[in-house]
Amino acid sequence: MQHLEGKVALITGASRGLGRALAIEFAHQGAELVLNSRASSARELADTRRVCESLRVRTITVLADVSNRADMERLAAEALSVFGRVDILVNNASALGPTPMPYLTDYPPDDFEAVLRTNVVAPFLLTRTLIGQMLQRGSGSIINVSSDAGVVGYATWGAYGVSKAALDHLTRTWAAELDGTAVRLNSVDPGDMDTAMKRASEPDGDASQWAPPESVTPVFVYLASDESKSVSGQRFAAQEFLKSA
Amino acid sequence: MLNSPAVDPVIQFALPPELEAHEPPEFRGVRRDQVRLLVLPRNPHLLPLEKGEIEAVTHTRFDSLGEFLRVGDLLVVNSSRTLPGLLHARDERNNPVEVRLAQRRDGAWWDVLLLNGRTHIGRAGMFLDFGDGLMARVDARRSDLPFLWRMQFNHCCLELLDSIYRLGEPVRYSYVREALPMDLYQTVYATVPGSVEMPSAGRPFSWELILKLRRRGINFASLVLHTGLSSTRDDGVDATHPNYEEEYQIPEATATAINRAHRDGGRIIAVGTTVVRALETVARADGSVEAGEGWTRLRITAEHKQRAVEGLITGLHEPQASHLDLLSAFVEPQRLRAAYIEAIERGYLWHEFGDMNLII
Repeated sequence: MQHLEGKVALITGASRGLGRALAIEFAHQGAELVLNSRASSARELADTRRVCESLRVRTITVLADVSNRADMERLAAEALSVFGRVDILVNNASALGPTPMPYLTDYPPDDFEAVLRTNVVAPFLLTRTLIGQMLQRGSGSIINVSSDAGVVGYATWGAYGVSKAALDHLTRTWAAELDGTAVRLNSVDPGDMDTAMKRASEPDGDASQWAPPESVTPVFVYLASDESKSVSGQRFAAQEFLKSA
Repeated sequence: MLNSPAVDPVIQFALPPELEAHEPPEFRGVRRDQVRLLVLPRNPHLLPLEKGEIEAVTHTRFDSLGEFLRVGDLLVVNSSRTLPGLLHARDERNNPVEVRLAQRRDGAWWDVLLLNGRTHIGRAGMFLDFGDGLMARVDARRSDLPFLWRMQFNHCCLELLDSIYRLGEPVRYSYVREALPMDLYQTVYATVPGSVEMPSAGRPFSWELILKLRRRGINFASLVLHTGLSSTRDDGVDATHPNYEEEYQIPEATATAINRAHRDGGRIIAVGTTVVRALETVARADGSVEAGEGWTRLRITAEHKQRAVEGLITGLHEPQASHLDLLSAFVEPQRLRAAYIEAIERGYLWHEFGDMNLII
């Protein structure tokens, strides 16, 4: 059974890692797709698109920088122009900041701001731009990709951790404001995954201990689908969801 | 070159320059839903007053809108999204050309204004280079609206929209001093892009206000009317109120909601003159409406008998604006004039980022 048939999903940062895995899984589940990445990842994004299209779902790609306000308006406008609506928004694009990751004490201020812009301001802008048409229709699901670093203050995970804590709280506050509307916001901590970002953050880590991003998609499908209709303002850990399911 | 003689304005007044809103209210430290609201009753002699009805002009704030509405009233909004319709190009002789998108035709085709400052230019066969790979060829003037040129871009559809967003800026007039981010030109419910000027009557709505009104039993429905340009940049042509066609779509759910509201005694409040034009285009003699899509050239004046719409939320319009003709279909010109004089005396702000007017 396809859980997302008839729905339109927009996924940022869909050229690789978790974003790509989500795009392909959502395509398997029947969703039509708007896939985004930066212009520098255009080729990988085109590849994600080819895979999704081979699953016979209508897919468009929009190259846009999530940290750029005008780009976010353009991304939303193109999605709505083609599909007329967006039912599911996954704010997945994320910046780690400089690597190896410096102490906050040593963190370059411009890099700190850039991480917060990509990881907090961008989800705010894109959600703000797309949530109106969800509220009008009376349905919609927004999923923000969080991290354990947003809960625990790990040394050197400074800007990234701060941004993910803020993103979790953005999710909770927004959900509270829209209580009773059937437009839902939740965040997901996918856990340790074997992605390019993870390898950059922990170059000495044991990648064999990390889950492939494809394995954590069930919680995203659940939150995107009507099965989770009454779930909002929650924070999910993907691994725990797998165990409980 | 003109099709019709200049039309006498419904109201004559001089707008003091200090009453022009140069920027969104948020820039003035005012929430979008807290701009001022002038409430003008359509019929002041209707007694006894029902709950929520007023006799005289009332000055309040936009977020007090609910005080003038009743359970069962239906607000109909235009959810068209505004795109950046002002583009800069060079012709084959490297002369600068300002291109203002007026109406989307098919695929790669648009009707446009071609300007150098406020001077209309353009010639058949003109080649335009916008940079970033976007180019266009000017085909011919429109025979019915000769200030508009038909133009074909080298891109089509989504690719063209992408280029327009990358290269364009919002259409603006001299009272808006600089190009502002496109998102400031959107209503909170804007959906499919297609308007070249913001359907600005809906801009003061916040979701906080919409959800509050909904909880009180005041309903919302939406339609789409993609707006064209409000000015040709030529006062002589503008004075003739040239009649563009504009594309509209009225969804089944909206038609049903309107007909149900009417049946149950609710009033239809149009949020913006675009909504009036769309609904009056499809209204039957008995006031019922049907879903549909098409192009409308309907021009509403004092002589027009409203069939589908009982009230109107709109901005404050310039003396020469054809919008004032439309407003006079709701309220006698004399009373409209008196209300406008009060608005000027009280320092209301004009234009798309300004204060609001409820006629009910």
